[in-house]
Amino acid sequence: MMRRFFRSRGVRKLVRDRLAMVALGVISIYLALFFMMWCGFLVEKEETFERVGANTEVGFFEEPTIEQRLLYLEFYLDNLYSAADSRTPEASLAAIDLYGRLPTLTDPDAVIERIDPLWEVYDELVELYEDDAFSDDPESLPRLEELEAEAATLYTEPEGLMGRLALALGTDRQGRSIFLRALYSIKIAVQIGLVCALISVAIGTILGGAAAFFGGVVDHVIVWLYSTFSAIPYIVLLMVLAAMFLGSAFEGTLVPVYTAFCMTFWIAPCRVIRGEVMKLRELEYVQAATAVGFGRGRILLKHIIPNTTHLMFINFSLLFIGAIKAEVILSFLNLGVKNEPSWGVMIKQATQEVISGFFWQIGAATVFMFVLVLAFNVLSDALQDAFDPKHV
Amino acid sequence: MWTYILRRLLYSIPVYLGIVLLLMACLRVNDPVAGFLGKGASEEAYQAKKESMGLDRPFVVQYFDFLRQLVTFEFIKVPDEEVTASEDGGAAVLRSRGIESWSQEGRTVGQILRESIIPSISITVPALCFTLLISIVIALLSAYYRGRLPDKLMMVSAVLGMSISFLVYIIFGQYWAAYLLNQKLELEFFAVQGYEPGAANWAHYCLLPVLISTIVAMGYDTRFYRAVMVEESGRDYIITARAKGSTKRKIMFVHMLKNAMIPIITRVMSTLPFLVMGSILLEMYFNIPGMGRALLDSIFSNDFPVTQMLVAVFAGIFLVSVILTDVFYALVDPRVRLS
Repeated sequence: MMRRFFRSRGVRKLVRDRLAMVALGVISIYLALFFMMWCGFLVEKEETFERVGANTEVGFFEEPTIEQRLLYLEFYLDNLYSAADSRTPEASLAAIDLYGRLPTLTDPDAVIERIDPLWEVYDELVELYEDDAFSDDPESLPRLEELEAEAATLYTEPEGLMGRLALALGTDRQGRSIFLRALYSIKIAVQIGLVCALISVAIGTILGGAAAFFGGVVDHVIVWLYSTFSAIPYIVLLMVLAAMFLGSAFEGTLVPVYTAFCMTFWIAPCRVIRGEVMKLRELEYVQAATAVGFGRGRILLKHIIPNTTHLMFINFSLLFIGAIKAEVILSFLNLGVKNEPSWGVMIKQATQEVISGFFWQIGAATVFMFVLVLAFNVLSDALQDAFDPKHV
Repeated sequence: MWTYILRRLLYSIPVYLGIVLLLMACLRVNDPVAGFLGKGASEEAYQAKKESMGLDRPFVVQYFDFLRQLVTFEFIKVPDEEVTASEDGGAAVLRSRGIESWSQEGRTVGQILRESIIPSISITVPALCFTLLISIVIALLSAYYRGRLPDKLMMVSAVLGMSISFLVYIIFGQYWAAYLLNQKLELEFFAVQGYEPGAANWAHYCLLPVLISTIVAMGYDTRFYRAVMVEESGRDYIITARAKGSTKRKIMFVHMLKNAMIPIITRVMSTLPFLVMGSILLEMYFNIPGMGRALLDSIFSNDFPVTQMLVAVFAGIFLVSVILTDVFYALVDPRVRLS
């Protein structure tokens, strides 16, 4: 079935479409990242909740303001100082781990001795800043830089590629790495997209094929079923289905999301494939197969369904986009992904930060999602052009 | 024609019965009473609540009772002082008062429906008109310049626009258009959020949500309308028109637009139910007390009677508009009703 499909004229047309191939490349990168994270590489779920730096640190190309720099300094100094000053200084110091950045000093007394004079400089600088005299004093900026360099020596250098990238897109309001969270969200998004699109297309193909091929009562029942499901507005159905699981054992897992999406999404492929099978079953080769004496089930599965492969691919691609976008909306409404970062969860959190002019979280989630959705949009268009050019 | 309409109507009855069945089953997966009262509620309170909605009866009885409420339009009733005061037994009082909400005591589903429909419509109807006008113009231009630079630019930006989440448009729209304008320029043109009735307040509260939903919908609509136009441009009557010497512009805007109106109107008709629904996200984000938000609130406050009734009503409206679309389509295109 697959071999025949990949040798078809449509596929050759698709391969010649350069834009579609670029999109396919982008999708493969996302899929590769998904598999790596699925196997436990790159980012673990727990790591997306760890503190990696000060609160709302800005990303790589934005220059932090003096106020932000002072805030970061306060965090980095205080993080060590309060640990060394606590009741169990050794244990507290050893517990500090900013995603691989450890304290360079392990002796609490040495830490306090090092940081105490730094606090004095820090307080002076804060006072200058609060009096709006920071820019008047030419000494203050070099002093701040010196202090920052000093504070940096208190921590070890980040380890590995991930450690260096953890601060690349800044941190959210709890000091968690935006890059790691956005990266981990790829896993959630692709997982939801794959599971929902695969199941929906499978259900839709089987039901749609059966409805058109067997006709009669089967057709009536299946058409009734999808008319029923499609008569409830899509977003309302999603909300009701997802809300069905509130308070149950599945709350907090992805099961409500999968269920809601699969029960909503099978309608589109079912309709399309029913229409296509209606056309196919009248063709001569089906009559020939019947004349040879093949069973009806066999004709449907081996002779008719394989000829709808292109529609399955188009629908898979469209539903994948649908699932990713709907996940964002459901998560925003608190009905979707919970206890895990996802682009929807990130955008939801970012609404608080946008008001204060901090765009890194929403920007990162949007860009990561935009690239994937755009690639799938381009691919769906190309698939449609290649296999179903008459489609409006 | 009439047989077609009748057939269409008869056919939608089992569909609606199915919707109600599906909806009632979904909402009873988790015990709605336990969800509303929480874990600390006493046994008596639990039973009393259950009986007040008739949830202790068998599912079949509940099903037919709910259908009765829908068919007799009991859901749009609002409390009527005189009837409530009369003493003709509990059941009669209950019937005359309509269906009461759980979380908003003393309010009925009818009141909630009546109050929220205006805010919803005041956003969705202008949004639909704007989207329709703008996207048809863009689609026509795009089809006119088909394959050339303007067409490519417009289609590329449509795909780009479609790839961004609706939420991002809302968040940035609110931040730039409402928040920053108010703060930096001290222009109080757009409200950051909220809603007040009255036409004078419309632009202040509703224009920004309308613009946002127009921009979001434009990507999808433009592509669809362009595809329609491109398909029409390959028809025989276009060749005939060209052969008799019509200008390209006249063919585009007179001959083609007229024929393209059928799929366009069908698409508009199919979006009508969403006009009533409103945009849940916009209403939530801009704090507009419309239908979508009423539904969302009822889901989150476990307000079972309101959720059940609102979804059933939405589905009913949806079904009616689907029938209207089909009938309209059959009216303008006789091939449909003959098949």
